[in-house]
Amino acid sequence: MVVLCGSLLAQQENVSSQGRSYVEFEPLNTVVVRPGVITPVQFTFHVKRGYHINSNKPTTPELIPTTLGFTPPPDLVIAKVQYPAGQLTSFPFDPTQKLSVYSGDVVVKAVIIPQRAAPTGTYTVHGEFKYQACDNNACYPPKKLPVQFDLKVSKGTRKSTRPRPNRQSPNIH
Amino acid sequence: MSVVVVVITGLLFLGKSFTPRPPGVAQASNNEDQFNGKPAPDFELPQLGAKGKTLKLSELKGKAVVVNFWATWCEPCKIEMPWLVDLQKKYSGEGLQIIGIAMDDTDDQTISEFAHKMGVNYPVLKGSEKVADLYGGIDGLPTLFFVDRSGKIVEHELGLRSLSVIEANIKKSLGSSESARAAATQ
Repeated sequence: MVVLCGSLLAQQENVSSQGRSYVEFEPLNTVVVRPGVITPVQFTFHVKRGYHINSNKPTTPELIPTTLGFTPPPDLVIAKVQYPAGQLTSFPFDPTQKLSVYSGDVVVKAVIIPQRAAPTGTYTVHGEFKYQACDNNACYPPKKLPVQFDLKVSKGTRKSTRPRPNRQSPNIH
Repeated sequence: MSVVVVVITGLLFLGKSFTPRPPGVAQASNNEDQFNGKPAPDFELPQLGAKGKTLKLSELKGKAVVVNFWATWCEPCKIEMPWLVDLQKKYSGEGLQIIGIAMDDTDDQTISEFAHKMGVNYPVLKGSEKVADLYGGIDGLPTLFFVDRSGKIVEHELGLRSLSVIEANIKKSLGSSESARAAATQ
C-alpha cells in the first residue's frame, strides 16, 4: 500500500506541460433552437491564473492566434464567430513590446443557424478551441481543447409575424 | 499501524497534488535530476538553410555545447536569441558551440528567414518530438541544456533566464583549462 501511494506521488511529480491544460471550457446548458431561426450563443473559457494566451489577432504574424471552430451536424451552421478584443499587455521579459492577449475569462460569441429542413432532436456539437499559452518567462506548446455542447432542435410554437386581417362577427353592424 | 502509514502517505500525496507550481518564475525543469551530470542524449537533425545537411551532437564532442530549444511563436525566445548570438561570438574561440533546435510546425523557409532576421550565427536545426522526448519532453520554451566538452549535461534551464545566468552556465560548460586539455586528448 505504501509502495502504491509512493508511486502515485512520483507520477504527480512527473506531470509535464504536454498533459497540462492552461484553459478550461465552461460547460453550456443545452441550447434550444428552432429551424430557420438564428440563435445567438456564447462560449466562455477560463485562462488559468498566471498564464495568458494570444488573442485572435496577435501583434506579429509568428504568434499563434486563438481560434474556435466547430463541426456541426448537417442542416446546422455555426457562424459569425466573434472574438473579444485582446488586451494590449507588456510582460517582464520585454517591457518595450505590447502583445495582444487574453487572460482570465474569454467569451466567444457566435450564432447558430438551423436550416428550415433541420430535423428535430438533440445533437452533440463538437469543436476545438486552439490556443497557445505563456507565462512571464516561458511559452508552452500550442494546444487544442475539445469543446462540445448539446443542441436541441425544436419545432416550438409557430408565431406568424404577418398581420392578420380583422375578423368581425357577421352579427356586428 | 498500517492504517497510520497509509494515512500519512495519503496526506503527503494530497499535499503534493495541491501545491501549485508558481507560473511566471523561470525554473529548472522537473528533469533536472534526470539529466545533470549525465551524457547529453545524442541526436542527428536536419540543419535549416544548409541544403540537406544534418548535424549530429556527438560530432561536437570536445566543444562546450548549448542546446537551445526554441520556436518562432515564443516571445521570450526572441529576447534570449540576441544574447546567444553575442555569447557565440564571445566564446567561440574558447570552444563554445550553440545549436538552436526549432520546435515549430511551420515550414523550414519561414524558420530560416526568421533566424536570419534575428542575426543567428549558429546552426539552426529542425526539431522533432523524438528529440524532445530524448530530453525529457520539452515542457516549455526556451529550454537550454549546457553540455561540457566531455558530452555531459552540466546545467539545464526552462524558461527565460538572465544573460548573466546563461553566461555563467556557459562558463561552467567550458570548464577549467585542465578539463579542456583532458577533453582535447580524448
